[in-house]
Formats: sequence, structure tokens, C-alpha cells
Amino acid sequence: MNTAVAAVIVTYNRKAKLPKVLDHVLGQSARPQWVVVVDNASTDGTAEVVADYAARDDRVVVVSLDENTGGAGGFATGMARGYELGADFVWIMDDDCYPDEHALEELVNGHAKAESTLGTQVPYACSLVKFIDGSICEMNNPGTTWDWGRLISKGQQTVMVTHCSFVSVLFPRWVLTKHGLPLREYFIWFDDQEYTLRITKDAPGVQVLTSVAVHDMGVNRGVNFGDVTAANIWKFEYGARNEASYRLHRENPVAFGKFVLRLFQGLRGGRVAWPLRVRLFKKVVEGVRFNPQPEFPRSVL
Amino acid sequence: MTEKPEIHTHSQTFDVLDESGVGLTGGESLLDERERALVVGAANFHALTRPGQTIRFTVLRGPQGSLPSLTDRETGAIEWEDDREVVGSVVFRSLVHTTVAAVDADGLVDLVVDVGGSEQTASAYHQLPGLAGALRRAVRFTVPVQFDALRQYRTDLVEKRYRARDVPRKAGVRIARGASATDQGRTPAVLFGIHWLELGGAERWAVETVQLAKDAGLTPVIITDRPSGHPWITRPEFDGAVVVPLTLPLTPDHESMLLNGIMANYDVRGVHVHHCTWLYERLPWLKAIRPDIPVVDSLHILEWRTGGFVDISVRVSNVVDRHHVISPQLRDYLIGKQGIPAEKVALATLANLTAAADQPAKAVAADKPFTVAFVGRFTQQKRPYLFLKLAAELKDSAPGPVRFVMHGDGELSGEVHGLRGRLGLSEALELRGPDRDVSDTLAEADVLVISSDNEGLTLTSFEASAAGIPVVSTDVGSQASLIADGLLCPRHPYPFIRTAAARIGTMMDSPEQRERWLVEQRRKSAAFAALPDARSWVRDLYRGWNS
Repeated sequence: MNTAVAAVIVTYNRKAKLPKVLDHVLGQSARPQWVVVVDNASTDGTAEVVADYAARDDRVVVVSLDENTGGAGGFATGMARGYELGADFVWIMDDDCYPDEHALEELVNGHAKAESTLGTQVPYACSLVKFIDGSICEMNNPGTTWDWGRLISKGQQTVMVTHCSFVSVLFPRWVLTKHGLPLREYFIWFDDQEYTLRITKDAPGVQVLTSVAVHDMGVNRGVNFGDVTAANIWKFEYGARNEASYRLHRENPVAFGKFVLRLFQGLRGGRVAWPLRVRLFKKVVEGVRFNPQPEFPRSVL
Repeated sequence: MTEKPEIHTHSQTFDVLDESGVGLTGGESLLDERERALVVGAANFHALTRPGQTIRFTVLRGPQGSLPSLTDRETGAIEWEDDREVVGSVVFRSLVHTTVAAVDADGLVDLVVDVGGSEQTASAYHQLPGLAGALRRAVRFTVPVQFDALRQYRTDLVEKRYRARDVPRKAGVRIARGASATDQGRTPAVLFGIHWLELGGAERWAVETVQLAKDAGLTPVIITDRPSGHPWITRPEFDGAVVVPLTLPLTPDHESMLLNGIMANYDVRGVHVHHCTWLYERLPWLKAIRPDIPVVDSLHILEWRTGGFVDISVRVSNVVDRHHVISPQLRDYLIGKQGIPAEKVALATLANLTAAADQPAKAVAADKPFTVAFVGRFTQQKRPYLFLKLAAELKDSAPGPVRFVMHGDGELSGEVHGLRGRLGLSEALELRGPDRDVSDTLAEADVLVISSDNEGLTLTSFEASAAGIPVVSTDVGSQASLIADGLLCPRHPYPFIRTAAARIGTMMDSPEQRERWLVEQRRKSAAFAALPDARSWVRDLYRGWNS
């Protein structure tokens, strides 16, 4: 493979699964030139695990952060580092994602074929994400375009998409130059949607069905505001604020209104306790004033 | 090609028939070497645009600070300002033929060319006209740092608006061959477009490429388009080159006549544009006439608020075959932001550095004050007043004794001297002129500061790495390629002073941290130096053109 790929793994206190992730990434049929591991200030001994890998394989580049910056901050940092290293592509994933041996190769080839068939630049290519039991991963299904089957009709196992989650996604360098990095300020949730929607403005992305990654999450369940509990509300709070901000500032007041309605219906459907509902609506109000702007990576090499 | 041995300055385009005062044929001369080279440049232009004709120049010299008039419409008028003195007269015949049939050379064309006056150094602010200009100048020089803060806000605002729009593109040339009207010359040549022949990073590189063309057996034909006295016109690299220093506006039909004259007299193997607007704008026509001639340009810096030559280049990219860029930042801008195909963009740097990573680090002498240095021209772009303000800040707040060295010269020299006194730095800050070696200053320094508003790529950063001293720099242009992440400071003046002072303070307190920054800086320098080299790239390019 002539293209230089920087794989980016963002990790936080998951040292049990991280070695398996690293083994899958380092063992790809198309070798990434760098494997950037962003340690979000883990406290469980992740640093030793990563240091051990870095000592054994000089492709491993460790970025240790002083504080937990969330998935959004971690991906922004890791993608910027890959860019600074001179990567032609960055390939990003969570610390519980096991890409198949040919996942990267299929992404790079599928992306190139899509560009040549469509005659336009394609801003990203994502994998088909499965749960550990082989079924589709509920949380990681991209949104499709109206003409999603266009490439399939040309014999390619590739679907055209409008947004996806940050589980095995390949971004060409120009996307980072032109559109910048994910919004760190989002911290967690909706950062992936915001980013992929942002970069889909000029042209859709693609999901390469022959590139498969396994997402080893605890329970195979999608995101639903009906599932809010006192224990998990901290995540939903980020989600509510981030999506409210996105719909209002990047789309329009109608999209914002529709989001609020969806939130309301979801909470009601899940019979979520009123105090929790109030907390989420406060976050929606916060989203009105919350409007972070993208950061751009530095050209170093 | 005819060449009269008695002509001092090499000419391939004209034959001197008679002259007085100019010194082209070895007689007494009232002109210095630079002025003579300007007259030759004017003669090149008029010989190329008036094939076969006999031309008489009346040569004038203007007062100090006045600019030459060599090729513009004014040269046809036989009256001049009161303060112009006549310093020469020369009659020559053009050796150029643009058509197969011979030209009637009987008529005499009389022209008046003005070589201008001696140089005057003044900043753009000094030249602002009118009351508004005077007011702006007064504010600029009374409160330079505050004024700079406003300038930076303006930069942010205009950049944001400017970058939001797409750079318009000129459509390409679809034909593979232009209808043939003239025979082409036999002497293989490169047509260069250069801003002017005076000091500048882009010009330094342009002059090198002129030499590389000669080394490859190609005659450099050089067009410049900016008003200037061209102090570099006498440099040895231009021996054997045909210099055409344009003064604008040209008579419209002279534009095509000039380029036709060049193509008739030379076998133009390639065009290399270095920051020359006039030639950029004529590239579509040139490509229409001669699509077979490869066109390359060299780009150095993305300028604030306008994009500068980079965006002019983007606009005419359809008629440029390769864009040579000297920094990863420009490569990313062209490919990533402007969507220019990657295969059209060649990154080849001017690092020209060896062994930066191997030299031992220079230790801070414990018994001497910590030395903070500025090395560079005293120009608006380099913002020497910010360094002075930083020095004043450090003098008060640094954790130990500190001294400063400013090494340079330029249009803001007066301001630098004045501010040094005003800020109470007469004792602590030493000023050095270009008569001293930069290496002396670097040898004494413990840290180098770059306070520029914008930069292409600072070669002094490489020199600092080699000399074993860390560099604190504004995070502009390609500085991130060379400077440790922690030592990159904001471009806005007050945040810059705050950050730079804090970092220098840290270095004084912690030699270990200073060493870590230096290691990172050297690692970056070494990685950068491993990128493709511009000289080899151009050498190979020209060799290809002459094969």
C-alpha cells in the first residue's frame, strides 16, 4: 500500500480490551504506518500496556493527555497528530473495536473505487460494524443517502452515507485540511455525527460492506432517550446539549424544534423520571448558547 | 545569436551602434553598474518588442528615491520632469526577428528611459498619502503594539470572510497546439517571472534557480514586474541572463510583442514563475499560443487577507503544469483547501541543512545573563517592536538577569532605535547591524525569538537548531514544522508577549525543560530536512527541459 495511514485509537481506562484492539490494528493486511494511541488520562494502568506496545513496535505513537478530554477531545488530538506526522489518511476507532484483518485494506480500496466511480472526492469510508455475536451493532449504523445503492448498482459492496459513528472510519487528509477536526467541546456523544455531517456537505461518504469491525460493547443497544436513568444521565446530558447546539446552529430552528420534540417523546415513551427530564431540558437550553467552532490541524510534515 | 565582444554587459537581443555616457562599449560612463544593467534591461525589452528596429535611448537619472521608468508608455514621450538629468544616449539595433520576412529597419524609434534615483528605505507606512495617511502613520508609530493588536483583529476578520469564499478559477486551454505564426529561436531558454531583483526569501530562491538554469545549459530570460531599483541586478547569477525589468503600464500591444519576441529569439523550454503577477496573468495567453511549453511556479507563503501569489496561482492553476511549494502548509492548502490534484503539487523544501540533530546542545552559562536574541530584517512583517516590548516585559519579570541582542537592519530601524530608548532598554539591549555575523549572535544567544506577523519558513530556525538554541516563535505560516509545540505563541501581540515571556521564564528556571524543547525542535528540523530538496527538484526539472 503506497498511502500512509495513521490509525488512531482513543482509550480511557480499558486496559483489558486495548491489547486486543492493538493486535488487530497492528496485524492488518494493509499496514498502517503509525498507530496513534491517545490515552485520555487513564488511571487503570493503560499507560504501561501502551508503553509495552510502543517498545515492541515503533509504529505505535503514544499521546498521553493530562486530563480526560472525552472521545471528542481524544479523536481531535489523535487525528491532529496523525495529520502532523504526514499521514495521507487517518483511520479512527474506539478502544473496544476489533477490525478484521482486511478492514483497512478494504476501506482504502473501497474509498478509491468509490471516488473513481463517482468522479468526486469522497470525504470518508466507514466499516460495517458488528456486535461480538456477529449481528449488526445497533449503535453504529450510518445514515444513508437517497441514492444509497448507486455504487452497489456498479458492482461495488459500498453504500453511500451521510453520517456514521467513530468506529473504524477512514478520513483522507484533505478532509482535515478543509473541514478541520471534530469539536473537542462536545466531549462525548454526537461528536461523530456532527463531524461526518459537516464533512458530507460537498459529497457523501461511503460504508464499505467488505470492511468489517467488531464493536465489543457491553449490550447491543442503540441510543434512545427513553433509556435515561440517574446512573447514565451524564452521557445523555452531553448528547442533549450537543445535538441541540448542532440542530440550532448548524441546521435551523425547525430542525432544533424537531429535536426537542423527539427528545420530549423519547423521555415520555421511556417514562423517565421528571427530575431527569428537567435536567435534560436544561441542557437543551445550554445548547442554545453553546456553539463551538472547529479547530484545524497544523501542517508539520 | 550575435555578441559584440566589446560590450560590457552581455546582450543577445541587440547590437549597440553608438553610445555616449552609458559605458556599454567601454567608453567613459556616467552610470554605475546597476544603472547600466537597468539600461540593458530596458534595451532588452525594446529590442524584443520592436524586432529588427533601430532604437535611440535618451537615458535619464531621477532624484533619490524615484523609481525607474524603463518599459512603460511614458518612455515614448520626449519631455521629462525638471529634476531628471540626462546621463546617457545610446543607439542600438534589435537582433530579434518575429516573422519569417525581414523587418524594415530604416526607421529610428526614439525613447526616453529613466534609471531612477538611488535607493531610499522607507516602510509602506511612510509612503501613505494625505491626512488619513498622516494620521495612520502617527498612530502606528506612537503606539505600535496597540496598533498591531487592531491589525491582528482586522486580519482575523478579513481572513474569515476571505477564506469563506472560493478562489475563482480561470478555465483551461483545450488545444494541444497553437497556430504557428513565427519561427522559434534556437537558444534553449527558461522564461522566469520574478517579483523584483532585491532582498526577499522568494527572490533569494529565484536567483538560485536562475543559476540552476544556467548550469543546465539554459539561458535565463527574466521578467520582473514590480517597481524597484533592482539592487540585485548586478549579481553574478544574472551574467549571461536576459533581464527585462518591466515598468508598468506597458502599451497594450507590447505585451504580446514582448512574449513573441522572446519565443522568436529563444527556444523556450519552460516557464518558471516566482511571484510575478504580470506573467501569471499572461499565462493563459502563453498556453494558448504555445501549449507545449511546460509551466511551473514556486510558492512560498500564504499571505494574510489576500492569499497573495498563492491564490493568484490557484486562479490560473489550469494553465500551470506543476506547483512547486516549499512547505507542507502550502501543499495542504493547495491540495486540501483548493482541491488541486495532488500530482500537480510538488513539495520540495529549501531547508538545505545538515547535521542539525547531531550537534551538542548549547548549555546556558551560569555566570552570564540569559541572552534573548532577535535576528531578522527590521520590517513590518517581522514586528521588531514586539520583540522590544517582550524585552521590556522580561527585564521586569524574568526570574534572573537577562540581556537582549537585536541583529538586523531595515525600514523600521529608526523605530527600533527610538523604542529601545523609550522602553528603557538602552543598557540591556544591544543592537547589531548586518556587518556582524549572524553566527556570532546565535553563539551568544540562549533563546531566539521570532515575532513575525507571517512567515514562509524561517531559515534562522534551522540555524538556531544547528547552533543548539531553542526558538520561541509566533505560530504562523510553517513555523509549526520547525518549532517545538510548547514554544509556538499566538500571533496577537499581547498574548504573544505573555506566552513568550512565560516560556522564556520557564527556560531560565528549568534547563531540563529548555533541553526538552530543543530536542523536539531538532527532531522537527531533522524530519523537515529529510523532505525532498528544492534544489535537486529544480535541477532535475531543468535537465528534463534541456534533454
